[in-house]
Amino acid sequence: MEDINRIEAIKNILFDKDLEYIEDLAKRIHLLEEILNNDEALTKKIDPLVANQLLEFTEKIPTNLGPTITATLKEQIKNQKDDVVDAIFPILGKMIKKYVAQEIRLVTEKIDDQFNFVSRWKIKMKALFSSKKEKELLLQQLVSPTVEQVLLIEKDSGILKASYTKAKSIDEEMVSGMLTAIKSFVEDAFNKKGQSLELIEYELYQIVIQSFVTHYIAVVVSGPFGVNSKNKLQDLIFDFYNRFMAINVDLVIDLPTLANNTKKVTKATIEKELQNSFRDARI
Amino acid sequence: MQESKKIVILGHFGVGKTSLIRRFVENSFSDKYKVTIGVHISKKVVTIKANQTISLILWDIEGTDDINAIREGYLLGTHGVFFVFDVSRPSTFQNIAEDLDLTSKKTNKTPTLIIGNKMDLANKKDVEQLLAENKIPYDFLMSAKTGDNVDEAFLKIAELVNTNA
Repeated sequence: MEDINRIEAIKNILFDKDLEYIEDLAKRIHLLEEILNNDEALTKKIDPLVANQLLEFTEKIPTNLGPTITATLKEQIKNQKDDVVDAIFPILGKMIKKYVAQEIRLVTEKIDDQFNFVSRWKIKMKALFSSKKEKELLLQQLVSPTVEQVLLIEKDSGILKASYTKAKSIDEEMVSGMLTAIKSFVEDAFNKKGQSLELIEYELYQIVIQSFVTHYIAVVVSGPFGVNSKNKLQDLIFDFYNRFMAINVDLVIDLPTLANNTKKVTKATIEKELQNSFRDARI
Repeated sequence: MQESKKIVILGHFGVGKTSLIRRFVENSFSDKYKVTIGVHISKKVVTIKANQTISLILWDIEGTDDINAIREGYLLGTHGVFFVFDVSRPSTFQNIAEDLDLTSKKTNKTPTLIIGNKMDLANKKDVEQLLAENKIPYDFLMSAKTGDNVDEAFLKIAELVNTNA
């Protein structure tokens, strides 16, 4: 009996640390088993890992799968042109139909307007004293050019001083800078002194540019733009210039540098005048 | 009233002018190098102090090894200049005194900040030592890649060109 106790004591001395380690391992295994057998605890552990993997996978789709998807789509479209046309046609058709209906409605309104008694007689008289036929004059009025946007820009820096726009487009300050850069590039490239860029055309729009000494005015026009329209627009620009540019715009807008005896005109006032001059302009 | 000021970004080819602007305006960066042709214009409104903002119209002008070759028209009416060099390429700053002198003449002595870019490619102490040894002036050392010092430099130029101070 004494021997057994001694052996136990020796065992305790020899394997004390191992026993602690084994007990610790047993506890850990038990904890793992608990997590594995408990759905909620397991989900808590695994969910963030899966979410991370998914996120990484989603982020890599454009680089890893993008080219394959594009190539497959290209091949599919190439092989099944008819199917693609069938799928797109109803959407495009609806859009075109809507656009045509809208345009026809506008033309009808204009025709109605022109057939009222006074307008009709005005056109008859105009036809009588000009080389154009009544029909031509009617058509000309149906599709008249419209002023979409007016920008008053400092010539050297390209800084926008005032603007009038029918519908907000992209940043006007950036457009002004870019227009100035294009203008400067063209004028530099042709190296003709005293000559300046006057017109930029793109699709259905024209940008008419009228340069003055320190500033220039850019007018975006939509619709057919001929010599007559150009003359009328120039008259409008010069009228505006005479009224408001007679005093130096730098002084006008740069309020802190204004001398006491200089008339104060704010940017808002100039924008209001631009609006008054160009909003209902018929050119 | 918010003022608008024209800031031109000048420097040799590939010093990172466009990347600096992209980092400042869009807070993004790309390693792919695209050459700027002509000029590209961006805008960012900077708050100088409470209730006072300034609109910076940034003219990113194509890189050139000869400042004289820049179109005069692009520099007209400039309110402030960023002269950028690449800290990892001495050829982009070895003639900086001459370049700065020309820039000053062409821009009518407008406020200019000298910027050393691409600090992510070099050790700060080494760069500072190299620039000091060669007497290269600079206002900011920055990295468009990491964004270090980018906002600070643009804020500085905004303060310099602000006439409402």
